[in-house]
Formats: sequence, structure tokens, C-alpha cells
Amino acid sequence: MSEQTAEITAPDLAGTGSHLEHLSMQQALNRALAESLEENAKTLIFGEDVGQLGGVFRITDGLQQRFGADRVFDTPLAESGILGMSVGLAMAGFHPIPEVQFDGFAYPAVNQIVCQIGRMNYRSRGTLPMPITLRVPSFGGIRAPEHHGESLESLFAHVPGLKVVSPADPHQAYHLLKHAIRRPDPVIFMEPKARYWQKGPVDTADGGTLEGARVARPGRHVTLIAWGAMVARCLQVAELAAEDGIDVEVLDLRWLKPIDTAALAASVTRTRRAVVVHEAPRTSGLGAEIAALVTEECFNVLKAPVERVTGFDVPYPSGDLEDEYVPNIDRILFGIQRVLEHRRG
Amino acid sequence: MAELSFPLPDLGEGLIEATVLEWLVAVGDTVERNQPLVEVETTKSAVELPSPQAGVVVRVHGEPGETVLVGDPLIVFEVPDNTAGIVGTVPQEQAPKRRVRLSPVDDDDD
Repeated sequence: MSEQTAEITAPDLAGTGSHLEHLSMQQALNRALAESLEENAKTLIFGEDVGQLGGVFRITDGLQQRFGADRVFDTPLAESGILGMSVGLAMAGFHPIPEVQFDGFAYPAVNQIVCQIGRMNYRSRGTLPMPITLRVPSFGGIRAPEHHGESLESLFAHVPGLKVVSPADPHQAYHLLKHAIRRPDPVIFMEPKARYWQKGPVDTADGGTLEGARVARPGRHVTLIAWGAMVARCLQVAELAAEDGIDVEVLDLRWLKPIDTAALAASVTRTRRAVVVHEAPRTSGLGAEIAALVTEECFNVLKAPVERVTGFDVPYPSGDLEDEYVPNIDRILFGIQRVLEHRRG
Repeated sequence: MAELSFPLPDLGEGLIEATVLEWLVAVGDTVERNQPLVEVETTKSAVELPSPQAGVVVRVHGEPGETVLVGDPLIVFEVPDNTAGIVGTVPQEQAPKRRVRLSPVDDDDD
């Protein structure tokens, strides 16, 4: 046990020599942030508790000690200020990486995100780009109180000028975060907090294609479309469905704005059935957009209407009820059954 | 395992220090989240501080009667690496359970 008691032991940033490492998503994100700070002197990290504490989920752990309080710093509890400051810093040539501590705390900053960050590049005829990566620990699954389990992807995806992405595993998290930070435009980076702790292989040398969707598991009979924490659940469902002889494809959408329509079309053209799974409420959720896109692209080959397995049209519930709210294995299996047994006419 | 330090928070509005009255936990104790850790006295009142999280107490700072400055370490916990978080609980990986069974697919009907 080290006598350096300041905070949690920092992840091993030196690496092991091998490019393939076994990291939690926390560690993968922490490393992506550290490398981004190294790579570009204009990058800054700020938000509530991200400095001295290292973040409530330890994502920024050790970064203030390593890079100094000028580049990694705590802010007052004011999301409108965090995002408003991001706008000014971006106009002055910086690359801010602000954090909103929890999904539900983003609402006070919606004005800054929608009216400034999303539009400044357009409004200034391209002279004031907003290279901002807003990290938002998102979605549910950790038994937390109100405002700590919400899914804001359709809210942000609706805003012109913003891009929205959510990683499903540590490898995706590492590469997508670095990619988002390098981009010249604003990205809402939705971290699935329920997946922070699970470890997985990360190939730090090769991220593969970082734009668009990815097939997380190929299959023949039905496509499950998901993102964030629901990808892992859909992969579990695919294994269970295989026991019944049903071959499920899992499409990890990754980018929720822009949506990879070509990947949706390619997958569903093969499987001819689609089920979209998300935690957000059903009405006007991203599943509606995806169902429309799949229908436009694949109408002639679809064997059933696109099924949606989603949260309910209620505020995200307390921890005791979240297993009922978030799509579970049986609800997803039932959605698959509905598209399998549908008969036209 | 990892160590997590809990600094003395500002217990009022703009308070700068507090005096330790009595420790309610000792080094080596396993504490739960929200369990009272220590009674301290500020210029406004005497209060019990609840633990911000579960863990094993590694060190405490400040004997009874001593003053601790806001922001200085108050107590250090040892926590498993993968449970170091402050809000909510770490989801447990469970073997998937199911009740719904799927019917065989018939793709020869068109």
C-alpha cells in the first residue's frame, strides 16, 4: 500500500509493452484523457470534482496531479457555467473537455449546448468552430437517485450541429473518446456508467474504424440495434437465443448522431428483422428514428415492423424499480419473438 | 486495492476548519456508506459526518481536540479498485436469467 494517499491509485499509464491490455472502461477513459492532454496542449478538462477528487467515477483520477490545475480543474456546481465557459474557451482556441457529472445535470446547460455550442460554427460562417467534447456519465443501472440514470441521446441528437456517441466497452471507449477529442466539432460523449467497472481487452494501437456503427456479433435471423450499456445486454440475449436456434446479429450503433444508415440497411437487409433496444422512454426516443430509417431503407425486405424495446414514458425510477424500467433479457427476447412470429397480411 | 482520501468538507457556508470531538470509527474498521465517522465542531455547530462510502479505515487525521482545515485529509479508506466510486453501487455481473423461450424461425414462407 502506497503512502501516496492523495487519491485512488492511478491506472498504470506506462503500459506493459503489449498493445493489448485488460482494462476497465474507467481505466480506458482515464488513459484516453491523459493521452489527449499529452497530445494537444490546448486541451483542458474541467467540471465538478474532476480535479482534486479525480471525478466521482475516477475517470479523471490523477490527471490534475500530472498535468496541473491549469489544465485539469474543478468548477462551481453550475452546469450552465461549465458549458458557457467551454464556449468562450473554444472561441479562444482551446479544446475543452468538460464533464457534466451526471446525465440529469445536463438540463441546466441545455441553453449553452443548444444555442451556443451547436450553432456557433454555423453562426460564425465557420470561423468559430467548437472543438468541445462533453463527457456525460449516462444511462442507468447503478441504483442511484433521481437525475443519475437518464438517457438524453434523443434530446442531443435532435440538435443541429452536435454529434452524439456512446461506447459499449473499454476498447470502444478508449478509441472513441480520443477520436471525439480530436474532432473539430462538438461531441456529446455518453459514457454508460453501468459498464464503467467491467474489464475488457483494449488494443491501444489499433482502434479500427471509428466512424459509424459496428457489428458486435454477426447473425442471420434478426438484428438487435443498441448502444451504450444495452449492447452488452443484447450480446447476452444473443447467446440465449442461440440456445433456441435463433441467430441474432447485434449492431452497436456507437454514433447516435449522425446515425449510420448504411450499416442499419446492410444488417437488416441480411436479417430482414429488426429490434431496437434503448433505456430512454419510448415516445420520441431514438428507436423511433431508427425504425423510420430501417423502414425507409428496407421496406421491401422487412418481414415484420421494427420492434422497440425501451424504457417507459415515466421519469427514470428509483433504484428499487430500475430493473423493471431498463429493458431486461426477457423483454428483449419477447421483442425478438414478436418479429419472428409476425406474418404479413 | 486502492486508497481513497476524504478531505474535510466545508460544513457551513465558508467555514475554514473544524475541531475533532470524537472519532466514531477506528483504523481497521469496515464502514458502510452513510455510517457516522466522526463528530466535529465548527464555529456554527457540532455535527456527525457520515461516511461518503464503504471501505476499510486506513488512517484518520486529527486527534480529539485538534483542528483540521477544510480540504485537508480527514480519513483515508481502502477500497477495492473496481468499487471506487461515490454515487450509486457497482452493478454485479450475474449469469443471465431468462423465462422467455423463442420458437423456431420459419424463413421458407415467402
